Amino acid sequence: MTRQYEAVYVFDSTLEDAAINDKLDRLHGLLGTPSDLAVNHWGRRQLAYPIGRRESGYYVVARFGAETGALPEYERAIKLDDGIVRHLITLFEHELGAPPMSEEELAIAARRREAEDDEDEE
Amino acid sequence: MTPLRRPTKTCPFCETRVRFIDYKDDRMLGRFITDHGKILPSRLSGVCARHQRQLSTAIKRARYLAIIPYIRGMQA
Repeated sequence: MTRQYEAVYVFDSTLEDAAINDKLDRLHGLLGTPSDLAVNHWGRRQLAYPIGRRESGYYVVARFGAETGALPEYERAIKLDDGIVRHLITLFEHELGAPPMSEEELAIAARRREAEDDEDEE
Repeated sequence: MTPLRRPTKTCPFCETRVRFIDYKDDRMLGRFITDHGKILPSRLSGVCARHQRQLSTAIKRARYLAIIPYIRGMQA
């Protein structure tokens, strides 16, 4: 089964850009180089708190569709990589999130709130 | 007699029709944490239960990725 994933990698900021791209190519190769791969480089960025002795990291966000079976091997490779300080792989399926409230629902919510307020005043 | 009327708060996410709270948006998440970095309770921010659940997950993910701090304003 193919699912949409989003992965954020935090690389050691001392790595060269070429080395980071090499690592990304290798990792995404483990997923069979997905056709819908979208990689967004945030670049070097101050970390909110020091991790070890590192004060900054190189952030990369990747979005792809992958077979569920291919993921453990890919994540193992990330964990073994010393150049990656932190990583997070999440499901990128926004349909699972909250459905948007329609005009009707908003109106009902507003009415209910007013009704509750009126009760308080009694 | 003047009635005691609580100011009505509406969820800022519902108002702007946010469907999915992004853990990568540090400026947005920064509005929902205290000066010490704790998650702001929904009774103060007015966030609805559904979005508060999404928000707390998003804040915890952002903390892990060092996008926002776990604690702030404390001397180590």
